[in-house]
Amino acid sequence: KYIELQVTENVYDCEANLAVLKLYQFNPSHYQTNVTIKILLKAIANLPHPDFSLCKYLIEPDKLREEPLSSVVALGNQLETCDFEEFWQSLASTKSSIPAIGSVLGFTDSVRKFICHVVGISYQKIKTDQLCRILDIKRDHLAVYLEEYGWKLVPDDPSHVFVFNYEETIKTRNISEKIGFPQVKQLAPVLQNAASDCHKRAK
Amino acid sequence: MTSWDEKVGGEPADYGNAVLSANGSYTILPEPVKTFLCNFEAAIRNRNVYDIIQCYEAQFPKLTERFFAKYNWPATQVVTEIVSRSLGGKEPDQLFVILYTEMYYKHIYAHIAGGPSFEDREASYFNYCDFFNFVLGTDTPVTHELPYQLLWDIIDEFIYQFQNFTQYRAKLKNKKDEEISTLRDSVTTWNIHSVLNVLHSLVEKSCINEQLRELASGGDISAVAGEFGERQLYKMLGFFSLIGLCRLHCILGDFFQALKVLENIDVSRLDLYCNVPTCNITTSYYVGFSFMMMRRYEDAIRTLNDALAYHNRVKSSLAGRPDVADYVAKQTDQMCHLLCLCLSLHPMRVDEIVHAQIKEKYNEKNLKLSRMDLDEIANTFQYACPKFLSPVPPNFDLPENYQMNPMRQIKEEFISEIKQQARIPDIRSYLKLYTTLSIEKLAGLMNTEPQVLHRELMCYKHKMQNIVTADAAAAAAAEAPTASSSELDFYIDGDMIHVADTKVARKFGELFIRNILKLEDVNRALTRLDQFIYGVAAGEAGPQAGSARS
Repeated sequence: KYIELQVTENVYDCEANLAVLKLYQFNPSHYQTNVTIKILLKAIANLPHPDFSLCKYLIEPDKLREEPLSSVVALGNQLETCDFEEFWQSLASTKSSIPAIGSVLGFTDSVRKFICHVVGISYQKIKTDQLCRILDIKRDHLAVYLEEYGWKLVPDDPSHVFVFNYEETIKTRNISEKIGFPQVKQLAPVLQNAASDCHKRAK
Repeated sequence: MTSWDEKVGGEPADYGNAVLSANGSYTILPEPVKTFLCNFEAAIRNRNVYDIIQCYEAQFPKLTERFFAKYNWPATQVVTEIVSRSLGGKEPDQLFVILYTEMYYKHIYAHIAGGPSFEDREASYFNYCDFFNFVLGTDTPVTHELPYQLLWDIIDEFIYQFQNFTQYRAKLKNKKDEEISTLRDSVTTWNIHSVLNVLHSLVEKSCINEQLRELASGGDISAVAGEFGERQLYKMLGFFSLIGLCRLHCILGDFFQALKVLENIDVSRLDLYCNVPTCNITTSYYVGFSFMMMRRYEDAIRTLNDALAYHNRVKSSLAGRPDVADYVAKQTDQMCHLLCLCLSLHPMRVDEIVHAQIKEKYNEKNLKLSRMDLDEIANTFQYACPKFLSPVPPNFDLPENYQMNPMRQIKEEFISEIKQQARIPDIRSYLKLYTTLSIEKLAGLMNTEPQVLHRELMCYKHKMQNIVTADAAAAAAAEAPTASSSELDFYIDGDMIHVADTKVARKFGELFIRNILKLEDVNRALTRLDQFIYGVAAGEAGPQAGSARS
């Protein structure tokens, strides 16, 4: 029931979901496919966190290999490997066979959020067409997303979207050695002796 | 099952005092064994922790090696008889009886050929129930004091025997029918729920979580400890139970929970809490493994690195405990394997000494791992992973060997995760060579389309983002801080990839300073030696000559 609530209200409680899966692990007779599908979908929606992998560890492999779980797993894998265009295609085709997907409120929004996150960490500038394709949105809707993440269309070049100025942050670093004074202090008596020796010999 | 009874007359007859054994025949027990038993009982009864340590850590293994290398120790009833007789008819301390029985069964698991029978396993389980009832079943805390090593060993062995039993239960192929039906009927023996229950009760009774939270925030522990938690026995049992729970969740495949139960413990400073080397090493192993499964590679590498460095430090103190030496050696080896695996997925700088160790032992393996040789990865994983369990009894009607199933399941998932990361090392090696690189060029080098390459680069970034927070609860929150701590980083600007590498200059200064000081020491030693030799010689010739020399 809690799962239903999460699904309809667009909230997410990772621990509770894992606990449900654990319950199924301990009592295989209680297993319910529908609930598991919803848990997996919620986990996918919570990417980039590894919840999806964690869920898979707790579900029996036989169940994962057969429908309807296998399609959901395939969707998850496509997102994990950033195969976004494939994902939108698969989603469209499986939506009809698995009604649960449609019932999870905010699923596509969360997925788009994840995609934007990945774009945000990878790109300084990205082609606008490419962005629309991986987000599966039309050019006119782009403005909403640009606003949300503070991205801008490059002023002279509307075919690119400026994401983040990484030039400052990601730079080659040279960690060179610094010899601090305390370390040199250790040498002081040695150097002093050496100096006085030299003096003696010079005399 | 050979027992001491059957070995009558095997030793020279200068061991005195024949004793009536349980089945009525006479047994000759060696004098040293009897003395040990009485001392041990006295130590427990008098709450003399130092003596208990001596008996448990030094004398018991020695006596085992000398007399009981292939045989069982005498049965509990025999021992109770002997001790009672030496006490003049009084009952020996109840805790002594329970502890001795525990050691008796532990010995069977460890040293007796063929391992324990089903009856042994069941009896051992009931003995543990006795122990936990003794400790938890009272309204006021028991006044006994036991050394930490013993407490940890009890919890450790408890979980180990549970693991062992579950594996035994799952191997149905070669069992006789009566065995299978006994297993089918014994629902309560080594039941997962009871095991979990015990550990949770210990944690609750000792209020250990509250105490740890207070400790972390610098507050007053005694205010939250409660009546039971104040006593060291309960506090440490609670602490070790937390670690036990972490281990249990890990082997059931729930890595999130495994890390969550340790949320109040700072895993990087385990030696602050207790000084039991085997506990610290085991904890680091399970924590490191759970981090790796949750794709928190940086944390995993750090934990494993610290653990291996710690092991180097305590190796000498463990040399005196031959019974745990094998176990510790195996676990450290497993940790090395895990570290190699994590480093191939997420290259990072590690401690110099640890790095040298790994390079020395596993160079070939590292090469294969960095090339994403899936077989090598699978083998390494299989060797390094804990023995996973399924919490439910197997299908008794279909006698097959089920014990490997949980492990196979987790391994498959892990390999599919690795397959998703298969291209990353290649990308990394190419990026290392350039500061800027066009997508087209890299696509050509890697034999893919630019489109596909965009996807793979995003995948690289996604997988290498680790959650960097020690707090397990915060990690699950929606806005957990993530960072890519890879030394090699990049960003994509339209069609160009800009690469940033971290170059660490070699540290010459420290080396020079160290060696200068060493040379100085050597010089001083030589001068002293010089003075000494000439002083002695001059002393024979005359004291004035000696002083002129120096």
